[in-house]
Amino acid sequence: MFPDYRSRSFLDPQALSRLASIPLTARRPMQGTISGRHPSPHRGASVEFAEYRKYVPGDDLRRMDWRAYGRSDRYYVKEFEADTNLRCCLVLDTSGSMAFGSGNFRKIDYARKIAGTLSYLAVQQGDAVGLTCVAKGIVQSIPPRQNPAHLMHVFDILEQAVPAGETQIVPVLHELAETIPQRALIIILSDFFAEPDEVRGALEHLRFRKHDVTAFHLLDPLELAFHFRRPMRFVDMEGGPAIFAEPNEIAGRYHKALEQYLAKIQDVVLRTAIDYHRLSIDEDYERALMRFLTGRTQTRGVR
Amino acid sequence: MSFLQPMMLAAMPLVALPLIIHLINQRRYQTMRWAAMMFLLAANRMSRGYARLRQWLIMLFRMLAIAGLIFAVSRPLASGWLGMTSGGRADTTILLFDRSPSMQQQGAGTAISKLETGRNQLVQGLKTLGSSHWVLIESTTNKPRSLESPDALFNLPDTEPASMAADLPAMLRVAYDYIKANQTGRTEIWICSDLRENDWKATSGQWRTLRDRFMQLPQGVRFHLLAYPQTADNIAVRVTGVQRREIGQAAELLLSLKFIRQGNSNVPATIPVQIEMEGARSEMTVEITGPQYEMKDCRIPLESGQKRGWGRIAIPADSNPADNVFYFAFDQPSTRQTIVVADDPQAAEFLQLAASIGPDPSIACAAEIVPREQLAAVAWDRIALLLWEATLPEGEVAERIESYVHRGGQVIFLPPRIPDSKTQFGMRWEKWIDAPKDSSVEAWRGDHGLLAHTQSGAALPVGQLQIHQYCHFSGKFTSLATMQGGIPLLARVPANPGGIYFCATTPAARDSSLATSGVVFYVAIQRALADGSAVLANARQLVAGPVPAGIPAPWTRLSSTGNALSTDYSYHHGVYAAGDRLLAVNRALEEDHACVLDDAAIEELFQGLDFARVDDHAGNVRALIQEVWRLFLFGMLVAMIVEAALCLPKIRTAARVAYREVQGAAA
Repeated sequence: MFPDYRSRSFLDPQALSRLASIPLTARRPMQGTISGRHPSPHRGASVEFAEYRKYVPGDDLRRMDWRAYGRSDRYYVKEFEADTNLRCCLVLDTSGSMAFGSGNFRKIDYARKIAGTLSYLAVQQGDAVGLTCVAKGIVQSIPPRQNPAHLMHVFDILEQAVPAGETQIVPVLHELAETIPQRALIIILSDFFAEPDEVRGALEHLRFRKHDVTAFHLLDPLELAFHFRRPMRFVDMEGGPAIFAEPNEIAGRYHKALEQYLAKIQDVVLRTAIDYHRLSIDEDYERALMRFLTGRTQTRGVR
Repeated sequence: MSFLQPMMLAAMPLVALPLIIHLINQRRYQTMRWAAMMFLLAANRMSRGYARLRQWLIMLFRMLAIAGLIFAVSRPLASGWLGMTSGGRADTTILLFDRSPSMQQQGAGTAISKLETGRNQLVQGLKTLGSSHWVLIESTTNKPRSLESPDALFNLPDTEPASMAADLPAMLRVAYDYIKANQTGRTEIWICSDLRENDWKATSGQWRTLRDRFMQLPQGVRFHLLAYPQTADNIAVRVTGVQRREIGQAAELLLSLKFIRQGNSNVPATIPVQIEMEGARSEMTVEITGPQYEMKDCRIPLESGQKRGWGRIAIPADSNPADNVFYFAFDQPSTRQTIVVADDPQAAEFLQLAASIGPDPSIACAAEIVPREQLAAVAWDRIALLLWEATLPEGEVAERIESYVHRGGQVIFLPPRIPDSKTQFGMRWEKWIDAPKDSSVEAWRGDHGLLAHTQSGAALPVGQLQIHQYCHFSGKFTSLATMQGGIPLLARVPANPGGIYFCATTPAARDSSLATSGVVFYVAIQRALADGSAVLANARQLVAGPVPAGIPAPWTRLSSTGNALSTDYSYHHGVYAAGDRLLAVNRALEEDHACVLDDAAIEELFQGLDFARVDDHAGNVRALIQEVWRLFLFGMLVAMIVEAALCLPKIRTAARVAYREVQGAAA
């Protein structure tokens, strides 16, 4: 499948083989360019009956249901569901905050693994994959394609992505909502260090454009626990001002702010009905993806 | 707060250790690149009130924990002895122990006396505080005595109740002499007393001298007063007069009793008085009102053959058992003998006359004029009064007179016609001076002495005396009567236990009206004669104290309530036999009056000295000094637990909640 195959640090062949058994499905009808395995909002030529429709002049006579005519003496056209391919747009946050990692991985590394694996799985099942790296704006973007060569290009971009700069994911999501022309599966990989209300607006914009939005919210265990013993001077990874803090003094309020933030994000998720996955990056990404894929099979999109 | 190991308090700056560690920790900060700055910024914007308070509380409890530990190892004492032991362990601890009868007063609702309570408190307190050396000075002998440990106070007879009044200035003087002689180092003086005025003699000039002396001691002395100033309702009984009288073939004893009442004296009280005569008891009921009640010449029938004897008066137990008993002894009165030595025959005749006529027919008096050269042949041990109207004695005669006074004899010196410059007993006759016309006595002591008021309270007609000539005398004396211009007429020279008097004029008609207005002079001579004969009587009423001169030893106990050592009989009430004499030993009159020094007076006595006082009450079984290091240790533990509670749970809970949410979302 990959003639110029070379090893990628963020790809685990064994994990790929295990995850390949589960199809990547969309939760709602997609508008692909070719025939595929995903439901389409249009009628097509699949074997799955959709509905009867009255004949109107100009319809293909080959689709006329003569048996229905025999029973009712009326002309009906028999319509079938259309199956199309999936256009998967990966949105990777490459802001400075994604470079944080208290354990073996940084958030960007974790995001690479998820993005790379999903790209491979999508292409393998004939779907198109695109990638947009965002920081202060769109750093790099390639449109969805379905050929393996394009996948290699996606891997290259993932490999070369360098986390730097401020997070401006909200304007970028608005921009993407306007620029992605058809219904697509949009997978966002970010730490979402932005105001939840602004994030909500962006996600609603995407939903308005009938995209199937999935968000992987990546958080470091240390960001959650905030467990420090000594006074710390926290330097903003996105260039903001440094903060000197006595952890014992500020920990309570930090956790309070974190809880409020997470509660708001949860509210945003409920309101926008996106497929939301909050992940601590010390968790096995394969399990997280397994959970993601199986979850989608249960909620496969209706037409 | 006081401590047994005050040096450990030098570690108190360690209390600032948490603060210092905090400050050092602040400087040892780490720098970290951090992604979730939005939460830190939000946390900074939130109210810091509770968080900051919590941090301060944590710091406070850490400091309290260290302070508790330091206090605990300093061995704090819980007591009212505030500041008493802050100097640490003493090299020498001197105990001044008041054993006077008033210290036997019992507390309300208890049978424990002030003396027992004070002794217990001292033992417990001193054992706790510790010292290198303990010295006891008790109020009877006033002699310092070394103790092996405070526990010895329980076993020593020197700490048992006594009947002798205390003399605190004398005890302090002994303590000072001990400190001075033994170089005692760091010294503490503990005084256990009930603050009675008669024991403390607050008006005595000795206190000023004592204060100055103690302040000059280089090592510094700390005074601790364990005071029992409480008084209670109490009735004291005493015998003020004992006289055997023969009426025809019968004989009877005239007893004069006095009841002194403390407390609610307005309510009449009926007291059964028990009279014991050599083992035979009888009882009578007395109803008393007012603070004092006297019964004069209460008749007790005697067998006609009973010339001498002893007895005791007892009343029911009250708050102070020490003043419920009074002993007495009686004997047939002996002849009161006077010798007159006079250069002037007229004066000699008058003096002999005044001394030879007794105030009562039952009292035989005899006066003899003795030339100076025959004085060596006089039986001085039978003489009650010496009237001397001549130049002052010298040589062997002076020594005899001095010995005579020392054993209790009385001497009245009258001026010679031709005074010389000899000095005797610290006194010297000057020269005769013609008094201004109608010169009389301007002032005299009516409260005590030879010119005191009569028993009915009437004053002697001293003011009616006319002085025509007088011979001035000089020396150290106490005036009993003075003429116009403050010229002494009658004076007493300090001498114990006898009396030496100087009169500035003679009864001769050219000198004064002492003879013509003879009442005053007669009374004075008879009073001196009575004092002198009282010492010679075979039955004597003694005030508890050192054995008076002239009384033989050993004593044999006839009746007593205590278990005193035979050497200490004179300090304990009872009836004793010394040779052929009967001795009734009782407490001093002042012990019956519950006059307590007020706080200001006590403070004034110890002004300028390192002094601490605590008031206790009789029957108190709680130790005044207790080590409370356990309390501080417990406080330290509490502080550590609270600190831990403030530190740990808050952070862990919050972290767990956030992490659980993520894990929950993952599940």
